Amino acid sequence: MDSWVRFNAQSQAKERVFRAAQYACALLGSTLQNDEAAEIRRTVSQLEAHMSLTRKLLRLGNSVEALEAAKRAIHLSDSVLRLCLTISHLNRAMYFACDNVLWAGKTGLISKLDQHKWSQRSFRYYLFALILNLTRDAYELHLLMEREARSTTSKQPSSPSIPLPPDHLPSSSSPATQAMGFGWLYRQLHLVGTVLYSNPPLLLDLVKNSCDVFIPLDRLGIYPTGPGFVGACGLASSVLSILTMVHPWLKLKP
Amino acid sequence: LSPLHLLLVYFRAAQYACSLVVYLLRNNSDRKDLVAKLKSLETSLSAGRKLLRLGNAANSIEAAKRTVQLSDRVLRLCLTVANVSRTLYFICDNVLWAKSVGLIRNIDKERWSLNSFRFYFFSLVMHLSRDVYAVLQVMTKRSRDKNFKQRMDQHLTENPEVAEVVVPHLDGFLFLLLEALKSHPDLALDSVKNICDLFIPLDKLGLYQSNGGVIGFCGLISSLIGIVTLTQPRLRIAP
Repeated sequence: MDSWVRFNAQSQAKERVFRAAQYACALLGSTLQNDEAAEIRRTVSQLEAHMSLTRKLLRLGNSVEALEAAKRAIHLSDSVLRLCLTISHLNRAMYFACDNVLWAGKTGLISKLDQHKWSQRSFRYYLFALILNLTRDAYELHLLMEREARSTTSKQPSSPSIPLPPDHLPSSSSPATQAMGFGWLYRQLHLVGTVLYSNPPLLLDLVKNSCDVFIPLDRLGIYPTGPGFVGACGLASSVLSILTMVHPWLKLKP
Repeated sequence: LSPLHLLLVYFRAAQYACSLVVYLLRNNSDRKDLVAKLKSLETSLSAGRKLLRLGNAANSIEAAKRTVQLSDRVLRLCLTVANVSRTLYFICDNVLWAKSVGLIRNIDKERWSLNSFRFYFFSLVMHLSRDVYAVLQVMTKRSRDKNFKQRMDQHLTENPEVAEVVVPHLDGFLFLLLEALKSHPDLALDSVKNICDLFIPLDKLGLYQSNGGVIGFCGLISSLIGIVTLTQPRLRIAP
């Protein structure tokens, strides 16, 4: 009960729960396509709109927070991380600013707002921020893979009891070049699996960003997947994000 | 406390400010579309706040569990009953939200709304009783203090014409009261906040009908006091 109270107190946590509920409603609404469920579908879509508007209300101050995060990211030591994170935070700040404008339009503060144009604009900034986050994940993965590969090759001369390097694969009947090609691929995939398994924050962040990227891709019409798939992706990424809030050690730093 | 509480109080202040401005401009025909915009902003703020309050019943129960362990008997009674009553208010409020969204259908909205205001009213009365008790405690402690006795006698003797016309006990009482409130600003702020908040359920329950302007003004004052107490922890009443 105590951890629920603490969780409840964070506005970001509440916003994530509402996001999960919003995408769950979208997923549910897409599965109820027949006429008998029209009543339920109407309730579900009304609930979804309610959640979306309240989330926009909760995010009213988030562009300032994103700018502060960008200011902090400028001081990072690694240049690739510095670039990726700073530009990603700046894009998020622009996304939140567009979102605030959309909220003002939906509540009637600004009349005659072209909601579609501003919505597309906000999704474009969101997509670019997600692409930069994915680039950062790939860069971290690359660094960790290099480190892992170096540590396995440095271990081998000292302990001869370790099995031979996986160049000698069971596919000994195939031509040597093909075996070497598959061998390299297998080695790389094995390395990726090892690195991700031993770094849960990176794995979580990668899966979360990959799920999230389908939402703007669908809304901007670049890769339309349908409301059900978008709902499922949104729900998965919201659940993962709630998980990182309940267990702070799962959050990828910086 | 947390950023979410501060955010919620900002939204509450904005909602009541809109309500006040709508009341003040209600007869002004040039500002009709401004009034319409403010009304729709007020509605969306109110709906958003209802949704954001969905978890608060658990918070109140936790607070009640904490206040049940207080040493002072009167404080323990007042605050625990206030927290339990507030929990029931939040539960009614959550049910009303579910009805407004369409999740629950066959409930009597009027009855649940009245009950929620009754629980809210009762919790405010309990908070005010605690304020009165704390003020009386401070006043009795003060009146026994030697320095204070000297100051009060000085006050009564230097304005003899006032002390003769008004009942001297009342004048001394008011002096003591003001001194107590001045030395305990957190108590004064909490009392004013609870008194302002009291007008809202008094109007909704039909006990003291006032107009939208009074409600908006009182709600705005209590929200502003809430913002001040959240940003300045030393002005917040404890426990």
